[in-house]
Amino acid sequence: MDAPVDTTRPVIACGEVRTWLLPSFRPLAAQEAARLLLLRADERVLVSERPNLYALSPDTLTGVDCRLPTSNGARVRVVGTVAARASLTEGRVVQATAYFRAPATGPAARQPWGHYLVRPGVLEPLGKLPEQAVAQGVLAGGRPGELDLGLIADGLLTRLRQHPLLHKNTRVPFKSRRTSLRWVALPAPDGQGPSIERFTLAEDDLRTVRLRVPRDTEPSAVAGLCEDFALHDWLLTTVVRMIDGKLVPVEGQAALKALRPAVEHLLHLWMPRARVDRTLAPLWDVLEQESGFTRQWRTLSQRIRDQLALLQTIGSLPEAPLHRDGAAESRLGTAS
Amino acid sequence: MTGAVFRETTAEPRTESVGLAHLSLELGHLYMEDFEGGPDRLRDHFRRVRPWVDAVRADATALAGGKRPRISTCFLIDDYFTRFSSPAELVPLLLDEADRAGLVIDYLARESACAVADGVPLAESVAGRLVESPPPGSHGLRPPVGRTGWLANGERTPAQRAREAMKSTAGWQPPRETAARRHSVFMDVELWDDKEGRRTWSCPFLAAVWQLARLGLLRHHGEPVLTASPRAQGDFPRDWDDLPPLLRLGDSAVPFSAYRTCSVLPSRFLPVEHAVRIVLDQVDVDSRALEQAARRSAQEGMPVPGSVADRVSYVFYTVP
Repeated sequence: MDAPVDTTRPVIACGEVRTWLLPSFRPLAAQEAARLLLLRADERVLVSERPNLYALSPDTLTGVDCRLPTSNGARVRVVGTVAARASLTEGRVVQATAYFRAPATGPAARQPWGHYLVRPGVLEPLGKLPEQAVAQGVLAGGRPGELDLGLIADGLLTRLRQHPLLHKNTRVPFKSRRTSLRWVALPAPDGQGPSIERFTLAEDDLRTVRLRVPRDTEPSAVAGLCEDFALHDWLLTTVVRMIDGKLVPVEGQAALKALRPAVEHLLHLWMPRARVDRTLAPLWDVLEQESGFTRQWRTLSQRIRDQLALLQTIGSLPEAPLHRDGAAESRLGTAS
Repeated sequence: MTGAVFRETTAEPRTESVGLAHLSLELGHLYMEDFEGGPDRLRDHFRRVRPWVDAVRADATALAGGKRPRISTCFLIDDYFTRFSSPAELVPLLLDEADRAGLVIDYLARESACAVADGVPLAESVAGRLVESPPPGSHGLRPPVGRTGWLANGERTPAQRAREAMKSTAGWQPPRETAARRHSVFMDVELWDDKEGRRTWSCPFLAAVWQLARLGLLRHHGEPVLTASPRAQGDFPRDWDDLPPLLRLGDSAVPFSAYRTCSVLPSRFLPVEHAVRIVLDQVDVDSRALEQAARRSAQEGMPVPGSVADRVSYVFYTVP
């Protein structure tokens, strides 16, 4: 007789985060965020106000029975549930993550569905699971019919998009793109801490992260770390695009239009590690050393502030508010 | 934050635990037609139930390794689909007839409590936790759960245009039970209907909620729901609404909820309970509540089956 607690040792955890500007003209307050993310009537939304405003939905499950993407074409059928959750940071940036973990082996035949439901977020292979081939396959993306975590994360964003809170006012203060970050976490060698094996900025707003984590690391903690990476990567990507080619010459409306949303909506959001699990937090330092996320952000922020100061000095600040001119319709489903 | 120095209680998940007996034994389920059969019908029911109760107790004792098992008994009265009689009239009669057969009812529940109990919409919450069993090939692109109000144990026959269907049966494809052993036993369960803006939950769906409550697996924002109220002094009320959703009748210390359930029912309930199983098999219950039941039952040396549907058992007796 098997206990409902997951006794199988996962050998891989995978996820995909979608990061997006909340399609609302103003940021949502804490209570509104809690209403938006109430995916289940009976389960609380976790709301945190320190060190910044953050709300996290309960996990919801999607049942799947399909093949996993593999880099070598190996056919790996898995059955179980993919967990998905959504979060909202400072009422402004919404993220949806779909993730699962999987053991090295599973029963030879599909079990009654109740077997899988008491192992939420676990996909069991029918037979063996080649974790290296799956890790590479998931990061590269699957073929049609294979598990698509992005599809599940997108489904969750679409569900949020239909919430009455967002239904009426879909104007957003500025244009931005939705980014995707795919991650896989394989077990670290015994006795060793977590490590980042690779962080890749791919085309089409796709980022991939390959991690090693201690065996007892909760997949939700890895998901949290990767959401933190994705949030800050999205901030950088968005601000870089926002001011790209618009800062020179500094005179006039164009420069101010370009700078204003960054100041009003984004600059205060930079807060790496705000809620990252302690055992995984050191991975941020690695990323900082390698890619200099925060260095780039500081430079960007300083540049924006300098430009604003310059605009003020020149005396070209217009009196009329710019909200209306700067607003853009948000469109779901298109990448741009 | 994960630090121990600074805490935000709104940012931490929490699920209160509930008392758990070894077995929740349901002695019956009363509908209007049973009531209309008069006291004889109730008398006959309890007389038929009694030997099975003894057998279930013997089985539970064996499972508990010979120790005295903690068993609580319960009885469910329908006040949701039809309102009949009153607590003041019915409950004393019910207790008398149970007593005559040597049975004690510890807890009395109203069926409407499975829809809404103490202001908490239990049925709606459970509906929000349905995770459909995916037919092979499901890779994440599935319509939202439960929009239609129907839940199946497999793949339905694909919809056909009427004209095609009339032409021949060549294009017809059978439904398929996902967990079929070669041949399918396909079932499609209606969970609710919406008429004139009002949702009515189906009997099997409410019975599934009832099973989850008896298994101690329901919570609302982490807090227990359908908690038992002690019996008030004096007569039972004249109106069902004045009766608590779950009433503790005696001074039994055995909790209402349990690791497992057993229901002794007339065999006409078989299709309903098959439907209950299909629902239970596709509900993603609160994982911390699940973990509490698993841990405590294992500590007592009687671990619960992993699957929730497997914690539920029945005795069906035939009515002459």
